[in-house]
Amino acid sequence: MSTKQFESTLAAAAFQKQWFGELRRRVFDERRPYALIQADVPFELFDLTDIPAVSNQWWSSIVAAKRQAPAFLSAMAADGIPGPLCRYCSLGLATTRYPKAGDAPWGGLPTPRLLCARLTCDCIHRVFSLWADAFGAELYEIEHPAASELPPKWWELTRHRWRELIEPHRLDFVAGSLERLIEKLESIGERRLDRAALRERLERVNRQEEIFDAARKLIASAPVTPVRMTEQIANVMATQWVRGTDWAIAHAQHFHDELRARRLGRRRVCENEKARLMWVGAGLWHDTDFYSAFEKSHGAVFVWSMYLAFGPDAYIRYGLDDPLAALASRTATFNEFLHNPPWAAEWTVAQALEHRIDAALVLHPKSMKPSAMGRFFIERALERAGIPVLRVEADVVDALAWDPAAARKAVAAFLEERVLE
Amino acid sequence: MSLGAIDELRAGFEQPFWALGRDVASDGRTVVVSWPSVPVELVRAAGLAPIFARGRNAPTPTAHGVLEPDLFPNRLRQLVDAGLTGRLAGVAAVVLPRSSDPDYKCFLYLRELARLGTAAELPPVLLFDLLHADSPDARAYNADRARSLYADLASLAGQPRGDDELRGAVASANRARTAARRVQALRAGAPRLSGVDALPSLGAFLQLEPERYAALADAAADSLAHRAPLEAPRVLVAGEPVDGAALHAAIEAEGAVVVAELSPFGACGTETDIDSSGDPFAALAAHYERVIDARLPVGALMQRLDAALVSADAVVISLPPDDASFGWDYPRYRELLARHAVPHAVVHGDPAGSLTPSDRGRIQSLLDDARARREAARVY
Repeated sequence: MSTKQFESTLAAAAFQKQWFGELRRRVFDERRPYALIQADVPFELFDLTDIPAVSNQWWSSIVAAKRQAPAFLSAMAADGIPGPLCRYCSLGLATTRYPKAGDAPWGGLPTPRLLCARLTCDCIHRVFSLWADAFGAELYEIEHPAASELPPKWWELTRHRWRELIEPHRLDFVAGSLERLIEKLESIGERRLDRAALRERLERVNRQEEIFDAARKLIASAPVTPVRMTEQIANVMATQWVRGTDWAIAHAQHFHDELRARRLGRRRVCENEKARLMWVGAGLWHDTDFYSAFEKSHGAVFVWSMYLAFGPDAYIRYGLDDPLAALASRTATFNEFLHNPPWAAEWTVAQALEHRIDAALVLHPKSMKPSAMGRFFIERALERAGIPVLRVEADVVDALAWDPAAARKAVAAFLEERVLE
Repeated sequence: MSLGAIDELRAGFEQPFWALGRDVASDGRTVVVSWPSVPVELVRAAGLAPIFARGRNAPTPTAHGVLEPDLFPNRLRQLVDAGLTGRLAGVAAVVLPRSSDPDYKCFLYLRELARLGTAAELPPVLLFDLLHADSPDARAYNADRARSLYADLASLAGQPRGDDELRGAVASANRARTAARRVQALRAGAPRLSGVDALPSLGAFLQLEPERYAALADAAADSLAHRAPLEAPRVLVAGEPVDGAALHAAIEAEGAVVVAELSPFGACGTETDIDSSGDPFAALAAHYERVIDARLPVGALMQRLDAALVSADAVVISLPPDDASFGWDYPRYRELLARHAVPHAVVHGDPAGSLTPSDRGRIQSLLDDARARREAARVY
């Protein structure tokens, strides 16, 4: 495992472990409710009604990083669930449905009071239905109306012109859905949602993302890369699940300040930086060392992933007179930003150019079917912009479907033939 | 008469999509649809004719360059291939419902390909988005989407249309549904017709003009009612819904008869009428929201499976590589089928193509099991 170069990375990991321990203590000792939710559900509403929320994708990444995914996924396959189905969104289900198959991290997930998911991909309703059954817990689903108009350069609209991002009928429907969700949360928790507090929380989320925006600019404009992509991800994701809280803002600032100091001190990830790489797609949680594997051998550094860049561009909303509408506009557009043509491709290219990217590795996560779609558009847009692309077929949590040596060999050949020639 | 009627029904089901591009004049009055979650009544009331994209055992080399492998079903590959090779240039519109991720992404892909100039000859590409939540908000949203699609199609057809035309189209479709249900009834109990005849006879409802469909289906039902029952294990096809009879043919080649399929192209397409005495848009949305597709809630799907098992000795579950949804239902399938003591087999090949050897082996074993159970039931 590569050495952590940032103190904030260690602090982020410690915080997450401590947060999860505190969650288990609250659930088991105090019989307090918590919720298990998809990453794209607005966490702010849960926190403001005093219901801690665990992200499904975060839990999957932890299970995968602890090398436990193959055991649980093998149990799921043995149960007859076909291998080509999405593993990222279902690994958590597997830890609950087949508890004896592996060793779930940190004592495993306690039974939630509520599971909550937006019905984005086809599989979500299925996976969460099975999961709710396995827990014997309630499932609350949020419908996801589909976009038919995707205006160009979405990232130029999100902050001030967010009402233009989304058709009015969709914005109204999603805002109404969030109202229903609030009613549900208020019926579970002991606290009513204070609309003024929601506005204040969204302002604090803006603050957090402004800090990350500044961090992104530091990285993009730095002569040489001051921070590994994996450390960017660790710091960003630890704060995203508790975004807008005191700890999250303070930690974002800590990361930013450490980054700025490293840049001012001309400290770099790799002494011999020759190529700046971008990773397009979710992280390879079972093999994060992959992202630093080409530093010594080729001077190739992963500079960019969506995780840091996405927050500032997708989360910030100014003009919070109607905070629920602002939150709805963010919620409704999440999937389109990252996966759908033309939005995903044009944003990826814009980010590549801003970060002076020399080459891109584009993940084709075959089992995550909706996320695997639109990849050809992204690849062609990058190549048209003069950025060589290597396609990487992998599952983000299933190490059984990954040959680390072969993958490294393929990347090395790509770098030698198309990037460092 | 029955053979002639069935042949005409089959032609009305099988041929229209493949005939696109040959006659520009007739293409101009058609709307190509990717899945039967789009109300055919809306299309017809707008003065247009629906034609459904269908899968078949044919390569799609042009689509291959823009669709990632193993993510899109055969029918969407055929649709994109047709769009990129100019075969859809003359049609009035392409409508894709959000009945699955692949259908929705296909909508976005076609829009983007047109924007990039890769598919310069595409007609307008429209989305029809129905939600499945059981809530007043979702019902209102769905009715509005139906109203909006009707307005868009009427505009493309160049003629103003109102609620009366729509109610008339609903009434015509209901008469056709009544005839379709007569055909489906002949598959229950002791089946009078094979699956390879039944599915096109039912699926033609979607594309033939309703009065013609009703006449043909009634004629077919009148004649088939006097046929001797087919003596063979009765199979239900479930899993990812089929859009053609290729899998039926492969199953029946092994000595079975397919008596039902969980598919809107077949047994599940015409089960109930639409009551348009109130708001016709709300009624249409409520009806089509229950069409079997990848987003139908699992509880509703299991109810359909439970009901369909009455006539089945065995179940073939089709879970091809592109499936992202129905495979999750397998534990529930297994439990329900065990409760009914109905054996099953899972096949993974493309249902629009030919069976893989391993799929054929599974079906043969399944049918052996079903025959043994039938024989045992006869003895005892």
